[in-house]
Amino acid sequence: MQANEAATAPAIAQEQRAHRDARDDRLFSWLLMGCALLVLVCLIGAAGATLWGGRDAFATFGWRFLTSAEWNPTDDVYGALVPVFGTIITSFIALLIAVPVSFGIALYLSEVAPPWLRTPVASAIELLAGIPSIIYGMWGLFVFVPFFSDHIKPLLIRYLGREAGDTPGTEHVSWIAQHLPFMGKLFNSENLFGGSVLTAGIVLAVMIIPFISSVMREVFQTVPTRLKESAYALGSSTWEVSWDIVLPYTRTAVIGGVFLGLGRALGETMAVTFIIGNKMQLSPSLLDPGASIASTIANQFGEAGGLQKSSLMALAFLLFVVTFIVLLIARLMLRRLAQKEGR
Amino acid sequence: MTESAAAGIHPQATAASAPIAPTKIQVRDLHFYYNGFHALKGINMDIPEKKVTAIIGPSGCGKSTLLRIFNRIYAIYPKLEAKGEIILDEENILDTRYSMNKLRSKVGMVFQKPVPFPMTIFENVAYGIRHHERLSRADMDIRVEQALRSAALWDEVKDKLKQNALGLSGGQQQRLCIARGIALKPEVLLLDEPTSALDPIATSRIEQLVEELKSEYTIVIVTHNMQQAARCSDLTAFMYLGELIEFDRTEQIFTKPSKKQTEDYITGRFG
Repeated sequence: MQANEAATAPAIAQEQRAHRDARDDRLFSWLLMGCALLVLVCLIGAAGATLWGGRDAFATFGWRFLTSAEWNPTDDVYGALVPVFGTIITSFIALLIAVPVSFGIALYLSEVAPPWLRTPVASAIELLAGIPSIIYGMWGLFVFVPFFSDHIKPLLIRYLGREAGDTPGTEHVSWIAQHLPFMGKLFNSENLFGGSVLTAGIVLAVMIIPFISSVMREVFQTVPTRLKESAYALGSSTWEVSWDIVLPYTRTAVIGGVFLGLGRALGETMAVTFIIGNKMQLSPSLLDPGASIASTIANQFGEAGGLQKSSLMALAFLLFVVTFIVLLIARLMLRRLAQKEGR
Repeated sequence: MTESAAAGIHPQATAASAPIAPTKIQVRDLHFYYNGFHALKGINMDIPEKKVTAIIGPSGCGKSTLLRIFNRIYAIYPKLEAKGEIILDEENILDTRYSMNKLRSKVGMVFQKPVPFPMTIFENVAYGIRHHERLSRADMDIRVEQALRSAALWDEVKDKLKQNALGLSGGQQQRLCIARGIALKPEVLLLDEPTSALDPIATSRIEQLVEELKSEYTIVIVTHNMQQAARCSDLTAFMYLGELIEFDRTEQIFTKPSKKQTEDYITGRFG
């Protein structure tokens, strides 16, 4: 009897312990799941709230809300085309500039630059990422936009686009615009001063370069030396090693970095509001003022009510949709690339 | 010729052995500096054509360094400096005017660990060829097949040329790297401890491959495995602390080395 008790006492203790561990593990995994769900709840909540807030606009205008370029608070008629278009086009310009530049910065810092220069330049880039967007907005408005209007815009119009003459029929059409008519449309402007879609795109590029380039630099450093040496040993130049080996090896992370930057560009508010010109007009010209979703909301939310407020909410919902579509495209792109590579 | 070069060690010159093949690479009074550190101290050797030359020695003796000078791969890093001459087919490859592209097409290299590029198996082999030649699709297919066959890999991969090379086993990856090297039709093949990351079966396949390849290529193999040097090389060079101690026919080195240091090393007394 006693021997029996002696044998079972530790066994019972062990069983209790196992029981307690299982319970603790269960609680812990619930806790973790809760943390993850919190993000999902926030996302759905925000999307749902904007959709709900914008229900009047969607109900009143239906699909016309998406296709109409008219935004007229006087007549209470609202269409989202101008800000949606402005958001996409400014972000696109920003990526067009920022991606190659960031690639260059990252390659220089990871492959070419002398070691003593690497850390200071990398820190400077990270500092650039920490500048609040209002500062970029002020710099854009007071420094960059006037400089651009005085010096760069006339050149762009003269050499890439078309320039209106003093009288009708005397306009100057650049060589490029003669051969590529769409260039004439892109770089044609009567507004000689003030911000434009292009200036907003350029300032956005400056803002997202730090993000993209620091992600790229970090992942470029993870490429094994022996992989690069093997490519050099086959006669590749530094450019070929970068393009054929380093970039494919780090592709997933690079695309991730690019879309991180794009996400920031799509939603950027203060800087864009300062420099995009805030005009609700649909113009093919990059030199004309425009509006983005975020800048429209920032400009009008204070005094909006009724249908206008609802339309702004609907715009906010559209920003969700645009961002979602962009992320979806990124996923599809990665999958296509992986297939091509034979994985 | 400098005094040290005259005193240098050439296999042809040693009394015991007659010349075994014409010289492919002549190393003349070669010094190498890593950031100021004197890593190679006046190396002189004649590497014969279409033979396997093994370089052995304890870690840090400079054997990999020497190999990495033969295709000037060291030049991608700053602060490394080679002095002296390496004559490949009557031209000094250390001359800054010597075309890097030409050198890399004449001298192929295979590294310690298998390093397939992040591409398909086919592209891994075709990649290097494209740097030096423009080939039609059909010709490229033939060249890739030839290279894979020479590397004894074709039968294993012919049905999955479009798959990523990272899916191959370690031994297959290393043979793919050899195929990638010989696809350029080089004259010299440098192998830097090519089997150190492989299992015994994969190792013996590579050694067998080296045996087959020497009819067409001049092979220089760095190895820390003395049995490997004994098994698959015609000549063996023993290096110690940045100096070439002895360079002779392999059976000579392993049966009756002329220097005490060589004997100590091959009998396992140090290193």
